[in-house]
Amino acid sequence: MRDLIEKLTPRYTLGNATYQRADLTFVDVTRDELRALLLELRDKEGFTHLVLLTAVDWIEEGKFQLTYMINNREADQTLGLRLYIDRNDAEGDTIHDIWPTAATYQRELREMFGIAFPGSPRVDEEFILEGWTDMPPYRRDFDTLAYSQQTYVEREGRETHDPRATMKHKMYPEG
Amino acid sequence: MFSFQPDRSQYPDVGPDGKFEIDLETGKFLKLWHGPNHPGITGNMSVELTVNGDEVVEGYTHVGYLHRGFEKLMERRTFIQVFPIVCRVCVPEPDFNEYCYAAAVEELAGIEVPEEANWIRTLILEMGRFNSYMMAMGGIAGALGNGVIGQWMTYVRDLMLDRFEELTGARIYHMFILPGGVRAGLPEGFEARMEEVLQTAERYLDDVEKVLFTNAVFKKRTKGVGYIDPKLFESYGVTGPNARAGGVAKDVRKDSPYLVYDQLSFEVPVEQDSDIWARSIVRYRDLRLTIDLIRQILAKMPKGGEVMTSLPNVLHWKIPRGETYIKGESSRGEYGYYLVTDGSGYPRRVNVRGPSYTHAMALLEHLIPGTNIADVAALMVSLHTYPPEIER
Amino acid sequence: MGSLRDVLSPFTAWKHVIETPVTIKNPIGREAADRYRGFHQNDTDKCIGCGSCEDICQNAAIDMIPVDNPKDGDSGLRPQIDYGRCCWCALCVDVCMTGSLTMSNEYTWVDSDPDAFRFIPGVDKMPWDDFEKGYERQGDRMLSGLTRPEMAELEPEARIGNFDEIVAGYSREQAVLEADRCVECGLCVATCPAHMDIPDYIAAIREGDYDLGTQILYETNPFSEVCGRVCTHKCETVCAAQYEGEPIAIRWLKRHIIDNVSEERRLEIVGTPQVLPTGQKVAVVGAGPAGLTAAYDLARSGHAVTVFEAQDKPGGMMRYGIPEYRLPYDALDRDIAVIKAQGVEIKTGTRIGTDITLDQLKADYDATVLSIGLHLGRSTRVPGSDAPGVEAAIDLLRRITAGEEVPVPKKVAVIGGGNVAMDIARSMARLQKQKFGEVGVTVTALEDFDHFLADKEEVTESFEEGIEILDARGPQEIVTFKSGKRKGHVKGLRTWKVTSIFDEQGRFTPQYDEGDEMVHEVEMVVEAIGQMADISLLGDELTEALEWNRGRIAVDADGHTSEPWLWGGGDAVHGPDVIHAVADGHKIAASVNVALMAKAEAEK
Repeated sequence: MRDLIEKLTPRYTLGNATYQRADLTFVDVTRDELRALLLELRDKEGFTHLVLLTAVDWIEEGKFQLTYMINNREADQTLGLRLYIDRNDAEGDTIHDIWPTAATYQRELREMFGIAFPGSPRVDEEFILEGWTDMPPYRRDFDTLAYSQQTYVEREGRETHDPRATMKHKMYPEG
Repeated sequence: MFSFQPDRSQYPDVGPDGKFEIDLETGKFLKLWHGPNHPGITGNMSVELTVNGDEVVEGYTHVGYLHRGFEKLMERRTFIQVFPIVCRVCVPEPDFNEYCYAAAVEELAGIEVPEEANWIRTLILEMGRFNSYMMAMGGIAGALGNGVIGQWMTYVRDLMLDRFEELTGARIYHMFILPGGVRAGLPEGFEARMEEVLQTAERYLDDVEKVLFTNAVFKKRTKGVGYIDPKLFESYGVTGPNARAGGVAKDVRKDSPYLVYDQLSFEVPVEQDSDIWARSIVRYRDLRLTIDLIRQILAKMPKGGEVMTSLPNVLHWKIPRGETYIKGESSRGEYGYYLVTDGSGYPRRVNVRGPSYTHAMALLEHLIPGTNIADVAALMVSLHTYPPEIER
Repeated sequence: MGSLRDVLSPFTAWKHVIETPVTIKNPIGREAADRYRGFHQNDTDKCIGCGSCEDICQNAAIDMIPVDNPKDGDSGLRPQIDYGRCCWCALCVDVCMTGSLTMSNEYTWVDSDPDAFRFIPGVDKMPWDDFEKGYERQGDRMLSGLTRPEMAELEPEARIGNFDEIVAGYSREQAVLEADRCVECGLCVATCPAHMDIPDYIAAIREGDYDLGTQILYETNPFSEVCGRVCTHKCETVCAAQYEGEPIAIRWLKRHIIDNVSEERRLEIVGTPQVLPTGQKVAVVGAGPAGLTAAYDLARSGHAVTVFEAQDKPGGMMRYGIPEYRLPYDALDRDIAVIKAQGVEIKTGTRIGTDITLDQLKADYDATVLSIGLHLGRSTRVPGSDAPGVEAAIDLLRRITAGEEVPVPKKVAVIGGGNVAMDIARSMARLQKQKFGEVGVTVTALEDFDHFLADKEEVTESFEEGIEILDARGPQEIVTFKSGKRKGHVKGLRTWKVTSIFDEQGRFTPQYDEGDEMVHEVEMVVEAIGQMADISLLGDELTEALEWNRGRIAVDADGHTSEPWLWGGGDAVHGPDVIHAVADGHKIAASVNVALMAKAEAEK
């Protein structure tokens, strides 16, 4: 994979290559070069299979990481392209015309992370969360515990005790 | 000549793009919900069909009936606490989740797994594949009205669940493959009892061959029906038996051997016709292969040694920042876990890559237009999709 | 179209009609596999209620519920499981620190009351409590470490000829490994007399945040250098990790923190009193751990504190009782420097009763704290115990520290089996090695090795240093020369084999096997059977006025004596133990604070 990365480096802005395993590599890419790079990798380098497309929320850094994972079956190589986008104005470029199946991924990212993919088919239609009104739930700042506490009622009769405090009181009743 | 087919002349005209102008007000189209409760649907999903007569002009997959937000729940649990919930992403073949998650954690945390544990993991995965294919066999037969095969397969699957029970301590969600190894070695006399199950399975599969694959009705209903052009495989992310039925020998076990698959001898079954028949027969042959693999594993594996590595204290186990992707060949195709860690005691992101995500969504929606209502169930079942992988 | 075969073949399915049905008629009662994970069992005698099961449960299915009659070293809680939440993953079984929690292979249970499915295994009796089959851990705990990293220490040959510190302290790598094993149950916090926040400072080690660690240490104990070396570590006796494997080396981890923070940095972290001076004065008698801890707290509350110390240097028993090879003096000095930095004045070489009287303190100070320790050795009172050549261990230890000349004969016998006996035996052994090049110390203890009083390491290290320890031997007589130049001087120690120490009522009445007699030929006998307080400084009037409790000054829970101006604590009140003395110091300081505030209010 080092060969491929080196070969592409003069023409693309590739950063922070991580050779995770002999068959798995991650590399940072830029948004304006993504499409050309994907097409070249698909058509010339044998990365014909889109394994997955998903996002990672780096809320502390104000970024979403979009991971485009593609695979070259013949060479048994998987390449994860990391694209960082602004979390506050989260928008990606649709690649459904390169891999039609990407439309589903983009629709999910729109719904779960609130990342827009203009031009992606049916991207604004509800996918999994019919009738959802809260913030996109896979964002890190969506608190599942608070949500469930607000939404559901706990069954009564549960109470726990702290071993430290209980034992301390037992051993030193006067404090 | 008399025909049951209605007169096509009453159908609306086809537009310039070759598609019907769909206008429900005309009364010539009907919306038909295929699922979520329907004998011809796999699990809890539905396909919203627009039909014209008995011809389907459009179909959209709807999921969300069992969304539990697993990927999000995993972010809220420590690395060890994720282990009991990963299996719940898939009922019929839960072990892939356990393996992929455990392997991803082990890779990022730098943990070595004892050799014997890798053999047991392989055994478990093949046992899971066995069960999954049993359901697929029953499913495809059932979708075409042949319920008895589903009953036989359920019985055989139940015998395998007994083996799961004695090996892992549970029948459905085994919670057995945890980061660091597996919970225990083989129980005494396991091999003999497994052999009994395999022989029973072979007997029933012989019957399946006679009743399903040597069956004029089944052939009529499946041959040439639900054809997927192999050119679509890459663009729609088609993997596993669905691709192997179309002449592409995609199989992670061969393409990128994991666990101990490089120490097992096998040839991946491939068919050429890429229709429902081909997909069914490929699964049938793969199931036979699985039986052979289980025998190979039990014969070759080391026994009686360590199966679990001592872990760091899991109550405050932190894993350095990193990311990895672990994949395996499930009964439906490439199954994988994308794990991102940030140096804390919790995963930053877990993404489950299930083959049904592409098969039941983009691919199915692409294949549906033009089919007959009665064939939708068979088409869908022949893709062998499990909805929880889609919505996790 | 299909062939005729394709039409006929499916009919072969009919042969199944004559097969026996495979379904089970009644699934209730079907026995599950041997390792099936069914309803929990808990061996409540083994369980210590550490709550690790509750911590690891990702479904929050476990609550810790108080039960009756908990044993020692037990929080008194037991896990209650809510089977409406349990997912049978058995992580609770895997993490269990004692191995008490297991699962039976029972999984069928019908009840119309949903709350019945929430119960305390082992406490609420269930039909499967005694089932042998089910899930239990294979082998040892796998989810947290079992053993301590080995501590580097001086080899016996390298240490016996000097008073150099034996234990090296943990390296960063060792400390992180050890800190990782802690499950943060807090039973140690409950047990520690000073309630040090042990899991929190251990977490600080894992994070590499030694400043935070130091801050946590100082919240409960200003003697981390000391306690990090010589604490009796009661915490480690209740550590959840000890049941399968070794307890966490809490004492060494404490020392590791303080080893990694320079004296200057320590002063920066701890700082100086952040309150306005109250103008009130407190006198503390005795610069031991209790007195200095009280002084530290009171100074930080804004009071002017003066500590009076009879010896030449502060530290009390920490300096004059504990040998230097266990606690180097400069380590003690570093702890005391931080206390002094709070503005505490320590007047050494000032003996109450001689240089200044308690009445004067009562008159000149708003409050007085008495923390005088135990500086008088008890005697066996066997025949000959007043002969020349019989020494009190505590007195000898003091003289060694003070640099005074002590007699060093070739053969020494020590009577006693506690840590003080080991201290003096090992100190004398070092002096012998320096003087004669060889060791000649025999320790005779009443207790047998199974019930020995001294710490295990002390016994092991004594053996390594060539000291002879004879267990279960009771002193009968100190034999003296009957004639000659050395007439009246110690000639040996006569002992009998001990058959039992306590009678059926638990009273101290040692019984001997008189047939098993030994005479140990020695020139010196050291008595190390206990210490008592020197209460002569109180004077008759105060002695009369105070309330007493079995020979010790009686105090209430806050350390207040029956005299309103006087507080008491430390060894003289509660028996010998540094960490207990520190705890006393805090308690007294808090009580004095309240009293002084009330006094200031009243004087307004």
